[in-house]
Amino acid sequence: MKTLVDGGNSKLALVVDDSPMQCKVLSILLKEEGYRVFTANDGARAVAIYIKFKPDLVLMDINMPIMNGYEAARKIKSLSNKNSLCPLIFITSMDTDQAFIESIEAGGDGILVRPFSPEVFKAKIKSIQRISDLYGTIKELQQEQQKDAELAEQLMADVIESRNYGLDRIGIVKKPATLFSGDIQLTALSPNGDINALLGDFTGHGLRSSIGAIPLSETFRAMTKKGFSIFEIITEINQQLYDLLPTDLFLAAGFVSLSSHDKSAYIFNAGLPDTYIFDSTGKIKHKVESSHPPLGVLPNLLPEVPLSVINIMPTDRIVLLSDGIVEARNEEGDMYDIERFEQAAILGVIKNNVSQSVLKNVIEFCQGIPQEDDISLIDIPCGGWQQLYSSNKKNNEESIESLSTVDVPSSSAWHWKLSLSGSRLASVNPIPMAMNQIHEIEGSGEHWQSVFTILTELYVNALDHGVLELSSDYKNSPEGFTDYYKEREKRLKDLTSGFIDISLAYFPIKSGGKLEVKIKDSGKGFDFTKLNKNIDSTKGSNIELSGRGINLVEQICEHMSFSEAGTLIEASYIWTN
Amino acid sequence: MTLRIFESKDTITISIEDRFDFSLHQRFRDAYTECKNNGCEIIIDLSKTTYMDSSALGMILLVKDHVEKLSGTLKITNPSVTVNKILEIAQFHRLITIEK
Repeated sequence: MKTLVDGGNSKLALVVDDSPMQCKVLSILLKEEGYRVFTANDGARAVAIYIKFKPDLVLMDINMPIMNGYEAARKIKSLSNKNSLCPLIFITSMDTDQAFIESIEAGGDGILVRPFSPEVFKAKIKSIQRISDLYGTIKELQQEQQKDAELAEQLMADVIESRNYGLDRIGIVKKPATLFSGDIQLTALSPNGDINALLGDFTGHGLRSSIGAIPLSETFRAMTKKGFSIFEIITEINQQLYDLLPTDLFLAAGFVSLSSHDKSAYIFNAGLPDTYIFDSTGKIKHKVESSHPPLGVLPNLLPEVPLSVINIMPTDRIVLLSDGIVEARNEEGDMYDIERFEQAAILGVIKNNVSQSVLKNVIEFCQGIPQEDDISLIDIPCGGWQQLYSSNKKNNEESIESLSTVDVPSSSAWHWKLSLSGSRLASVNPIPMAMNQIHEIEGSGEHWQSVFTILTELYVNALDHGVLELSSDYKNSPEGFTDYYKEREKRLKDLTSGFIDISLAYFPIKSGGKLEVKIKDSGKGFDFTKLNKNIDSTKGSNIELSGRGINLVEQICEHMSFSEAGTLIEASYIWTN
Repeated sequence: MTLRIFESKDTITISIEDRFDFSLHQRFRDAYTECKNNGCEIIIDLSKTTYMDSSALGMILLVKDHVEKLSGTLKITNPSVTVNKILEIAQFHRLITIEK
């Protein structure tokens, strides 16, 4: 055994034949083709050399002592690196069909029958090398694709989803397919305590399927944080994805906005399997089916598709799932399907671990068969959020009592005013605008969360009860909520007159500030003496279904009062850094 | 999986047998991109399609773009129950004529 030609980069061949003469002839021909050559005179020796040197090409005789060519070929093929073909050609004098068939079955890539001319031998070597090179190229591309998919998967998991809210209570299943397929799960907390969740499924595989993920998560989080409604968020995301993604890339997505305050869930399903609401016993209370094409397909959302508003109990759970679960397959090619999902989910609700119960069941069903699509699910408990939110709030509020006496300058540092009237009241949400102003002038800070709550509650109060003249009697029963929102939507659509004026005045104080909010509406007003009394008697309680908004503002603010027959409300809020 | 194309004067029918997924991408594109006649009609026959994934939905949207540029029409015909369920979840009947 010695190195021949120029060594280094040249390819390595192994010639196996019990006749040293034959070995020599083939070696010479191979060297002329630029190969370095090892030889072996039996199968066992060939396997040993193969293990040690991993040659690029093997030429194998069939009939040899100790270990024959078929057996050696099987051993070599089982040892070979999965990323290269390592072509193996049988050289034989047995010109029979049987020899040909057995050669291929033993793992051979070709057979050459003696006698042959040197030219034919060299041509055969070239052709097999061409196939081997092609195999290598494909393997390289496949590895690159795999790396891209891993990058996409990592991006989703580490960069995007690690910022999710409430993961100690929200269950998330995320099991990427063989090639990551673009499922994304996002959760975020709105300033008023609502929980927004999104389960998305981008078209395609790998990196291609995740190019929309960053803008999607940024928009979802930023808009939730600023307090935009879930519908405004969906509208914006749809438009963004439409502008950004090519025609054949889009996002099937389900959105949930959970309002403990309203005891309602707002659900929008655009291209996912049904979204489920289970009660505590595992009974399916509702299914919200897809009512809109996936996002990014149409430039604007279809006007006739409303959000589903569903009354919820604190013990209910909402479950979003992607089609990867429904379409997961086992060895027989059967789909997991919706019935199995429902059974596993119901069991999971009872055991209080929906995500794990479903995941375990899917894995058992698939018996380790590689899946083509990601498997993902989000399970959101409907109760318990308000307590969390209030206890966070309370910590901020305790220090306020002592602030009432601080010196506040008589003139404000700035004013901001906005008057909305008629149909604009239906189409514009002024709260994010007001919050933007505050952020831009005063920078960001935790205390703006409370300001957001104050503005939202007072504005909604002025709009619903002032301008739209909706009675809060609707809200006296949980069922009434749906009717209330239906009626609200209707009156908003028909709105042509009326106005709301919002004005903010900011007073800097020592290491803090004071914000005065005035909201005036065009409504008929109401007997606020009754409400003021109500505020006192129910202070701190959460039992009443209506009036809780005003109650909350009263708790947060240093001062709050109604005047002008209940059409003007003034509130001032003080904080320290 | 097979893709068959039937062409008459102004109509191209693309019939997909078995699975309609990304592996058909190139052949599916080739089947309609040659067609540049104004007002042409493309029919996607799904009667023999057993499964369709989301990249197939994307491919259908690409045909839709192509046809609209030529002021032509696009029609999906005879989806099986399984395939129709997929079209329904994606609410494609709001975008494209589906004939059952």
